[in-house]
Amino acid sequence: MFRRILIANRGEIALRVLRACKELGIEVVCVYSQEDRDAIYLRQADETICIGPGPSATSYLDIARILSSAEVGDVEAIHPGYGFLSENAHFAEVCRSCGIEFIGPAPESIALMGNKARARTIAREVGVPVTPGSETTVQSEEQGLEVARSIGYPVMIKAAAGGGGRGMRVAHSDIGFVNAFLAARSEAEAAFKDGSIYIEKFIERARHVEIQVMGDRHGNLVHLGERDCSIQRRHQKLIEESPSPAIDPDLRRRMGEAALALARAARYENAGTLEFLVDREKNFYFMEMNTRIQVEHPVTELVTGIDLVKEQIRVASGEPLSFRQEDVRLSGAAIECRINAEDAENGFKPCPGKIDVYFPPGGPGVRVDSHVYAGFRISPCYDSMVGKVIVHRQTREEAIRVMRRALGELVVEGVKTTAALCREILSSLRFERGDIHTAFVEEHFLNR
Amino acid sequence: MDLEWLKALVALMNQNDLAELVVEEDGRKIKLRKAGDPVLRGTPFVLPAAAAQAAPPAAAAGAAARGAARPATGDGAKGEAAADLAEIKSPMVGTFYRSPSPESDTYVDVGDAVKEETTLCIIEAMKVMNEIKAEMTGVVKEILVANGEAVEFGQPLFVIQRSAG
Repeated sequence: MFRRILIANRGEIALRVLRACKELGIEVVCVYSQEDRDAIYLRQADETICIGPGPSATSYLDIARILSSAEVGDVEAIHPGYGFLSENAHFAEVCRSCGIEFIGPAPESIALMGNKARARTIAREVGVPVTPGSETTVQSEEQGLEVARSIGYPVMIKAAAGGGGRGMRVAHSDIGFVNAFLAARSEAEAAFKDGSIYIEKFIERARHVEIQVMGDRHGNLVHLGERDCSIQRRHQKLIEESPSPAIDPDLRRRMGEAALALARAARYENAGTLEFLVDREKNFYFMEMNTRIQVEHPVTELVTGIDLVKEQIRVASGEPLSFRQEDVRLSGAAIECRINAEDAENGFKPCPGKIDVYFPPGGPGVRVDSHVYAGFRISPCYDSMVGKVIVHRQTREEAIRVMRRALGELVVEGVKTTAALCREILSSLRFERGDIHTAFVEEHFLNR
Repeated sequence: MDLEWLKALVALMNQNDLAELVVEEDGRKIKLRKAGDPVLRGTPFVLPAAAAQAAPPAAAAGAAARGAARPATGDGAKGEAAADLAEIKSPMVGTFYRSPSPESDTYVDVGDAVKEETTLCIIEAMKVMNEIKAEMTGVVKEILVANGEAVEFGQPLFVIQRSAG
C-alpha cells in the first residue's frame, strides 16, 4: 500500500480522495493554487504545496508543477481526481517514467478509449452496438444524404471538431437535411476552424445510462451496474440515479457484459465508465468511455456499498479487487443532485462569489460531498460546483421524498445555485414515474 | 487654498500618471487621490515643504516631472529608504540551492550587492536547474530559506534592499 499520495486536484474531489487516504492510513500531499489557499480541506493534508497562481494552466493543469510537487513531497503515487489531468495520457505517461504511480488506467488505455472514433471502432470489433453513423467524415451534402438515408431519419449532423453542443443540427428528412448540413458546416468552420462533419442516428427521447467498471492488475474486471444520467442541461449532468428506472435485470446484465467486453479490449485497469444511449425500445448504443473516476460516483457507492476511491488506490498499489462480480448487488435507490453556483433563471450564468451562509442538509440517508463553508469564495477560475447532495433509501419513491426534503434544508447564501431547479425537477410527475430522457430538462423546465 | 495651485497639482498628477499626491506646506497637508482605482499605481509622491515653497507651480511641475515615481531626495529620503525592501518570491515548486554545486561558493550572501542579472540561487525541479535572477538593483538583506529546503510557489526567498539608479 502506498505510504504517501499527492492529490492533483481541488475542491470536493480533492476532499473525497483525502478522506479515502486518511481511512487507508496513507499520508497526503495536497497541491493548491493561490486562489485556493483558504480551502479548508488543506488543513487535513500532511503537507500542502502552493503550485501557482489561480488560472488552471499555471496550476492544476501544469504537469511540470504537479510533478515537481510530487518530487518535493516525496510521494509514491498521484491521484488525478476528475477533470484537469485525469484523462491526459501524456501526464500518465510522464508519471510512469518518473517512477510515480498514476492512480488510474494505463496511458495506453486512456489514449485508446479517450479517442471517440477509436473507441467506437473497438466497440464494433467486439460486437457492442454503437449509434449508427458515418464511419468517417462526410465531404459533401450528396454524400451526407446517402449516409442519412442508409442510417434512417432522424439524423444528427455533428461537427467532428465540435463540442459544447455547437455545430450540431438534427434533420428529419431529405429536405431538411441539406439546409441543416450546410448550416452545421458553416457554424463548424466559424466556431472550430474545421468544417468536417459526420452523421449519426439521432435517437429521440433517449436515456443516458452509463456502466461503472473497475479492473485490477490481476486480470479481474467487474461492472458495478448503471447510473441513469438523463437529467442534463446542454449535455451537463444535473441529477443522476441508480438503479435506472428503465433498466430491468436482463438489460443490466447485457449492458454490463457489453461494458466489460469494451474494457477488456482496452486492457482496462482501475475505475472507468462506459456511456450508452438507451432508446424507447430498450436498444442500447455505446457512445464513449470516461477513463477516470466520475463526479457521480457516490451514487454507485451507495447502492453497492463499495468505496470506489479506496478501491482505485488499492488497485493502483497492486492489490486485487476486494470483491467479485457475484458480490455486486444494487440495493435500494440512490439519487444525486449537483449543486452548482449558477443562475438557473438566467441561462445558467456562473455565479462566482463569496458564500455568506452555508447550511448542509443531513439526517438518515443523506450524504453531502462538498468542500465549501461560510466565507468560502467560489472562484471564477474553476468549475462552479458547490457540492453534491446524494440520498440513498430503500425505494426510489422514498429517495425522491428525502432528496426534496434535503434540498429544502440546504442553505447557500451569497451565490445563486441550481438547488431550486433540482427540487422542481424532482417534484415533477414525470420524474416520479421515471419517464425521462436527455431532452427532458430543456423541454419542460427551461423554455419559459 | 489657491485654486490655480490646485489645478496645477491635478495637472502634475495627470502628466505623471500619479494616483495619489500628498503636499505638505506650512504645517498644512493636502492629499489628492484619483477616484475609481483603489490600488495605487505608483508610490505616493511627496513634495517636501522646502521644494513646494521655493519653486513656483510651473517650476515645481517641471521638477516633479523629472523626479516622478522615485522617492523624493532630501529630508524625505530617509523615511523612504526603510520602506524600499523587496521580497523575492519563488516562481516555482522545487528544491532551493544557494550555490551552483555542493563544492562551489554561494551565489550571494547577506550584504552582497546585486544587479538585475545577478543569480541569487537555483531552484531545482525535475532535475532541471533553474537560475533565479534578482531582476533589481540593491543589497541582500535577508536569506529566508536554508540550502536544500523545498520551496513552493510564492514562497519568499530573499529580502533585497532596493537602491536608486
